[in-house]
Amino acid sequence: MPRNPEEIVADGIREFGEGREKVLQLLNKVNEELSWIPTAAINAIAQATGISVAEVYSVVSFYSFFSTEPRGRNIVRLCSTISCAMTGQREILEALMDEFGIEPFETTDDGRLTIETTPCIGLCDQAPAMLVNGEPHVKLTPEKACEIVRGLG
Amino acid sequence: MEKKVLLAENQPEFGAGFELALTMSPADVVFIVRDSGIKGRGGAGFPTGIKWNLAGAASSDVKYVVCNADEGEPGTFKDRILLEKYSERLLEGMAIGGYAIGSSHGIIYLRAEYPYLIPAIKEARKNMINRGFLGKNIGGKGFDFDVEIRIGAGAYICGEETSLIESLEGKSGYPRNKPPFPVNSGYLNKPTIVNNVETFCNIPHIVLNGPEWYADLGIGDCSGTKLFSISGNVEKPGVYELPLGAPLKDLLELAGAGDIQAVQVGGASGRTIPASEIHRSLSFGDLPPGGSVIVFDSTVNMLEVLENFMEFFVHESCGQCVPCREGTLQLMNAVDDLICGDICCREDLDNCFRLAEVMRITSKCGLGQTAVNCFVDIINNFVDFTDECLSEECCCERGDQ
Repeated sequence: MPRNPEEIVADGIREFGEGREKVLQLLNKVNEELSWIPTAAINAIAQATGISVAEVYSVVSFYSFFSTEPRGRNIVRLCSTISCAMTGQREILEALMDEFGIEPFETTDDGRLTIETTPCIGLCDQAPAMLVNGEPHVKLTPEKACEIVRGLG
Repeated sequence: MEKKVLLAENQPEFGAGFELALTMSPADVVFIVRDSGIKGRGGAGFPTGIKWNLAGAASSDVKYVVCNADEGEPGTFKDRILLEKYSERLLEGMAIGGYAIGSSHGIIYLRAEYPYLIPAIKEARKNMINRGFLGKNIGGKGFDFDVEIRIGAGAYICGEETSLIESLEGKSGYPRNKPPFPVNSGYLNKPTIVNNVETFCNIPHIVLNGPEWYADLGIGDCSGTKLFSISGNVEKPGVYELPLGAPLKDLLELAGAGDIQAVQVGGASGRTIPASEIHRSLSFGDLPPGGSVIVFDSTVNMLEVLENFMEFFVHESCGQCVPCREGTLQLMNAVDDLICGDICCREDLDNCFRLAEVMRITSKCGLGQTAVNCFVDIINNFVDFTDECLSEECCCERGDQ
């Protein structure tokens, strides 16, 4: 069972301290554990750091890696920038959409998987590439990408 | 020709440059860096020695040394290689920076796309602590220095140094007004130097070998070597180290580029040139040497490339200033109109070029100022309007002119 957001934030405060400058670290910690940023986490961070809920929300909405909607426990980020686009990223995305039945930025009904497209992830020398839960996978083909995603827990 | 210093097989021992720096006065270390002529390796090209001198002169008990590891320019991956293999060199360079400006606190701002590099950096930090190069009273000189790692959350704009500082402070990464400059008022309003990974990695080599040695590595007015990440239609994509100021064609030869229609130098915000210009030099005075080089062969539709880049800028514009937020969107729409034939002659684009000029002059930070480069270059050099005009949907035939 995932921990509740307040507990994660309290843990983060103990780890990083409670200054205003800790907001991004706290959000990253919540994001890492839950895959998304629930309202309860935003409220807890606002309270702990002494800034408004609106301000924490604005930070959440600024960064691509945060989401205020629940996401899957596995997040696939397929690079969509040019070196990957030129080496078949589109075909890979279509194969993933076909097999798992979701569009980019959607989550499977069982909560297992979210697929996202993302700007350059710095793996252009081994394009096309994707990050799966932060781990790099390179020189992909549609088959290889589907196989990797199939194998996720 | 390659010239390897940062990526050389035989490397000076980690810490040797730092030990030597500790035998000098902080001011002398700053002068060595200044005299080497090294300019910021992230791409902006600000002289590192001047930055350090200003931060060193700023009076404050607390100062910060920040490493910009938010490598986000499309096509750039040189810092990934440095972080993977040379994190100790990076930490050494940061420690020298701390000693030079009088700071005991280093921060590495690592992009969220590189979490798998964290173990290598942590391992390097542990090694540096074990060998007495990080921690309290280093070398018995009364100098304390340590480095913490902070992770971003997916925002290209945070590569801009004041956005990066805002992000470190836990805020949205909106660029700050300058002045004040970070050297006077940076992280938590304290004097702060922000340097690229590659810049810091160069510092120990400069201290060990001297400023003249470093200056002589470059070609012409340029100092030092430079890492270039090359990808696209080449046989051997990867990272290559060349003297700064080397002609682009040397890099293209090393990477095995054959059929060349266009080369983009400096990433999406850099310049896109035709094959006839590959003799030009990779230097701060000519083709932007930030690190990204992408090759497009004759089969590539450059309008689709442009569409990809404009989508990138629309996504990554932080939205703070109007010229960039609205301008990138308008230029992207124009590219879509070009692709579907709604715009088919140069005259129709006059307004777009005017907009591009306004964005270049009035955008608040480098993102909006340089987002127009790919639009201007690709439209000017790679779009053949006579062909487009043959389409039935042509605006000229519709009488729109």
